[in-house]
Amino acid sequence: MRWVVLILAAAGIAVAGWMVWDRMRGLTATPIADFSAPFVFGRFAVPPDNPLTQEAFTLGRHLFYDPILSGNNEVSCATCHVQELAFTDGLAKSPTLSGGELDFSSMSLANLLWGQERFFWNGRATSLEEQALMPIQHPDEMGQDIDALMEELQASGSYRKMFRQAYGAVTPENTAKALATFMRLLISSNSKYDQYLRGEVRLTAQEEHGRKLFMAHPDTKVSLRGGNCIDCHSQFLTSGFRDALDGFSNNGLDPDETLPDGLMAVTGNPVHKGFFKVPTLRNIAVTAPYMHDGRFDTLEDVMDHYNDGIVVSDTLSPLILEADNAPEAGQETVGLRMTPDEIQAIIAFLHTLTDEAFLTNPQFSNPFEGGS
Amino acid sequence: MRPIIVISALVVLIAGWFVLNPRQNKATPITLTFHAQMGDEPLIYDQFIYDNPGGQGQFRIRDFRFYLSNLSFGHGDETYAEPESYHLLRFDNADSAHSITLPAVPLPSIETVRFLIGVDPAANSSIEVRGDLDPNSQMAWNWEVGYKFVVFEGALQVGGDVSPLVYHVGFSENAREVEFSVPAVVLADGKQEVHLTVDLAKLFDNAAQIDMQALPSVKFNRTDAEVLANNYANMIAPSF
Repeated sequence: MRWVVLILAAAGIAVAGWMVWDRMRGLTATPIADFSAPFVFGRFAVPPDNPLTQEAFTLGRHLFYDPILSGNNEVSCATCHVQELAFTDGLAKSPTLSGGELDFSSMSLANLLWGQERFFWNGRATSLEEQALMPIQHPDEMGQDIDALMEELQASGSYRKMFRQAYGAVTPENTAKALATFMRLLISSNSKYDQYLRGEVRLTAQEEHGRKLFMAHPDTKVSLRGGNCIDCHSQFLTSGFRDALDGFSNNGLDPDETLPDGLMAVTGNPVHKGFFKVPTLRNIAVTAPYMHDGRFDTLEDVMDHYNDGIVVSDTLSPLILEADNAPEAGQETVGLRMTPDEIQAIIAFLHTLTDEAFLTNPQFSNPFEGGS
Repeated sequence: MRPIIVISALVVLIAGWFVLNPRQNKATPITLTFHAQMGDEPLIYDQFIYDNPGGQGQFRIRDFRFYLSNLSFGHGDETYAEPESYHLLRFDNADSAHSITLPAVPLPSIETVRFLIGVDPAANSSIEVRGDLDPNSQMAWNWEVGYKFVVFEGALQVGGDVSPLVYHVGFSENAREVEFSVPAVVLADGKQEVHLTVDLAKLFDNAAQIDMQALPSVKFNRTDAEVLANNYANMIAPSF
């Protein structure tokens, strides 16, 4: 009898010890200090209260792919953000729960650590933590009550454990933090353009021609031809600019009469009417259709828009209105007026931004389908 | 005897260090506040209220910003150069102002201030992120051309016609040095702020008077860029 008691006591102590150790481990999540990002991407900032950790990434990845996040348990983040489409969905506008369509096209999720720090096409979220919970609770997107979601997650032993190891408790705040961490680590940095920047490969003559055009604002006075892309898409990131609201622009899609509010809905400033977030062009060849409302099916359509389809409105970027490769001003159309060869060269360059390693990285894949 | 001598020598040395150390208690905090103006009035964005200096019509401002670099301070023969001194000055805020604060300039006081409008050639040909220099920002042309030093974007209205205005001035030869003295009274009695005006009117109406209709954009034409650089060379002045 005494031996049995002793053995039980020892086992109890061992179990208690293990539980304490496991909880302690939860308090010291493993920092991710050595993830690779190109030097040319520049500075980035991770919120001090949500450091990048392995445990947060694992939790965030599970949440991202889990339909438990939606009210009907059928829609996950990954429903509209599909890895092989650079986390877009291939649709002009994403579907609503009731079978309609949302106002906006699903945005690509890549290199969100850099560039503009406001999220959504109209910039209504000022951090990824703030962004993460909005689609979950939106009645047309995932239609989930956040308290009900917490109950569902709390009921799951594996989620309780993942939360504990990453942050502690199962809370909306920690859910947002985990999703933000997963999104921050969706880094695309191995496209042909990246390899070119690292000196590992050469671009073809056509791609190089396109790169030069991408990087130039045209100036007929010095015979410089340009596609003017860089006036909104930064040279290395190819995303919108980080500073203040520099990463938003009116790119000439609609006239004043039908111009949507865009950023003005957030700032209340009429000079921001029709401004939308300048997206990254990383993996742009796989993220059709294009623009905030998915109105263009192909890159050719996009180039046609910039070449001679610019619609003038009061807040149109003067850099777009002024950029013209033809020496003689104005005919009927407003645009870059490049040659077909130049347009094809820019499209060839845009294809060098496709990063197959990113699109197939097993670490970013659905963990419920036996991914690593 | 000997230990006493050694100890005395040490005491004298330590006391001497504190009494004679030239760097002791000589850091000066300073803030430079730049106020953007059009002539004598605070700059107003997004309204067609300014006359085209050399021609017809009125213009509005959508964006005005510039790089200020290589900030240094002088006191007698001593100078202090701020490390990584690259500031992007933008004025799209309620006060149309931009402040640069140095909490401790290691000089007993500040007699002269010196800086560049623009960026020095070494930094202008680098893709390193230093201070406010960022090759992924709106101020970068591209890594083969360098940075825009002074950016003005807006529109000109002549009659019912509105046309874009784009003035991007860069190229290393267009950096312009600004230097001025700070009278002792300005920083007396614990005052730490020097106010300066940035007169945007001078960009278009100075050594050269610009007709915005005839010259609606300046980008890569070096002659045009130099004309504007000579105009902005003295757009910044202290206002004591």
